[in-house]
Amino acid sequence: MTTTVAQTTQVYQVFIKASAEQIWEAITRPEWTARYFHGAHVTVTPERYDSRSADGELWGDSAVEVFDPPRKLVHGWRSMYDPEMAAEEESRVTWEIDEDEQGVCLLTVIHDRLEGAPKTAASVSGAGWTGVISALKTLLETGKPLY
Amino acid sequence: MTDDDLVFKALADPTRRHLLDRLFERDGRTLTELDADLEMTRFGVMKHLRVLEDAGLVVTRRQGREKLHFLNPVPIRLIHDRWIDKYAERQVSALSELKTRLEERR
Repeated sequence: MTTTVAQTTQVYQVFIKASAEQIWEAITRPEWTARYFHGAHVTVTPERYDSRSADGELWGDSAVEVFDPPRKLVHGWRSMYDPEMAAEEESRVTWEIDEDEQGVCLLTVIHDRLEGAPKTAASVSGAGWTGVISALKTLLETGKPLY
Repeated sequence: MTDDDLVFKALADPTRRHLLDRLFERDGRTLTELDADLEMTRFGVMKHLRVLEDAGLVVTRRQGREKLHFLNPVPIRLIHDRWIDKYAERQVSALSELKTRLEERR
């Protein structure tokens, strides 16, 4: 088995049969994120990215750099649910939503600036973002959570 | 062809699997870096990368004057959710449970 250093720029992409507005809602509102994002209740305002557990414990709290509904969202990332990862430097997450004429969207998620956060990089790579994004697709297309 | 067809077709070639493995080792590579160890023309490598892109397994992003290739694992995950979960996981978990039980008896 090949061991590898987790990538400092990670790119994830998926087609979702949903409108750009629906996807925007699903990534910025807690009643949606709780159903596909490891139970995280995420609230995004033009200023702040706030993520909490079901009982209100802070999992993420970062500045929003770009808030352009329903096309582009850029925010900081700090994995506050784990003390070691929380101590690492902040990284950055970009969400891009491109809708085509048939009402299908291409969602691109880029997690970069991970140079100062190797534990976070390893944790979100592989099953991490891939699981979240495939669960988001399933939820929006079937109305049911994946798990 | 459906999305699944494109992914299975893309994975059904050793050169393309090799390209994915190279991106898994280190992501965000240029075409020049990717064709370095392949005994194949640049045009041949480009054709393989195009098939991987069409299947969504490789995503390209421009960075300055360079075009970087990134491995996108989401289509493989969707295949996993669609096929592996359904046919394999139950048997696999039953087998691993049996293994645990037998080993406990020793």
